[in-house]
Amino acid sequence: MKVTLISIPVRDQEKALKFYTEKLGFIKKKDKPLEGGNRWLTIVSKEAQDGPELLLEPAPNHFEPSKVFQDALMEAGIPYTQFDVNNVDQEYERLTQLGVEFSIKPSTMGTTKYAVFNDTCGNNIELVEEL
Amino acid sequence: MTFYEKELNRINGIIYSNQEQVQTVIGVRNYIDNNYDTDLNLDLLSHLRFVSKFHLLRLFKKHYGLTPRQYLINKRIEKSKEQLSIGMSVTETCFAVGFESLGSFSTLFKSKTGKSPSEFQKSNFQEAY
Repeated sequence: MKVTLISIPVRDQEKALKFYTEKLGFIKKKDKPLEGGNRWLTIVSKEAQDGPELLLEPAPNHFEPSKVFQDALMEAGIPYTQFDVNNVDQEYERLTQLGVEFSIKPSTMGTTKYAVFNDTCGNNIELVEEL
Repeated sequence: MTFYEKELNRINGIIYSNQEQVQTVIGVRNYIDNNYDTDLNLDLLSHLRFVSKFHLLRLFKKHYGLTPRQYLINKRIEKSKEQLSIGMSVTETCFAVGFESLGSFSTLFKSKTGKSPSEFQKSNFQEAY
């Protein structure tokens, strides 16, 4: 068994694609039309293009419990998932300049530096740097 | 303050109350990152930070979830993948990242990546062209 795909719930796939590629720097890998205007839409990290794909899944629009769960996480400030970066401070500066909103500025906890931002598609996302 | 921040603060106070320990393991990890290609061992690492070997072993494992040895091996394998990808020979790569025997390098590489170093190199070139 291998881990090749992780999914993330988004409210608007096109908006998510723009945010994740233009602001975060991911690259579109697969884009297949499905029914009802939905797409099988995956992106990969620029530095690891053969690594796991991130599926931008419109689940909250079609399955109420997914929407409820996503809203609850957002309200509690809990990140849906996390991405590794080499330098949290630099990414914070870069993303802030692009208009990305952070709910937690770069902070340190033990051997980890982290920050949390809003992906504008319904999720908090955490950036992590191991110290 | 959100629920998440409150929880982080609470956990932080319990797990990371000893800042000196945190600095010790961060220092050791940085040292491994910068010297992975040299002959590293627990004696040397513990002398660096003036702590006992077994204390360091426990602390490192507690904070990073790996022993210093496992961390070092992962680092060397990660670096060897970079070297193999740019076309360095298997033997050269083995010594460049700090392994002392070709046999143990190949065995470790295979167990960590699922491919032998030469298979990895071949498949990497095939993907590129």
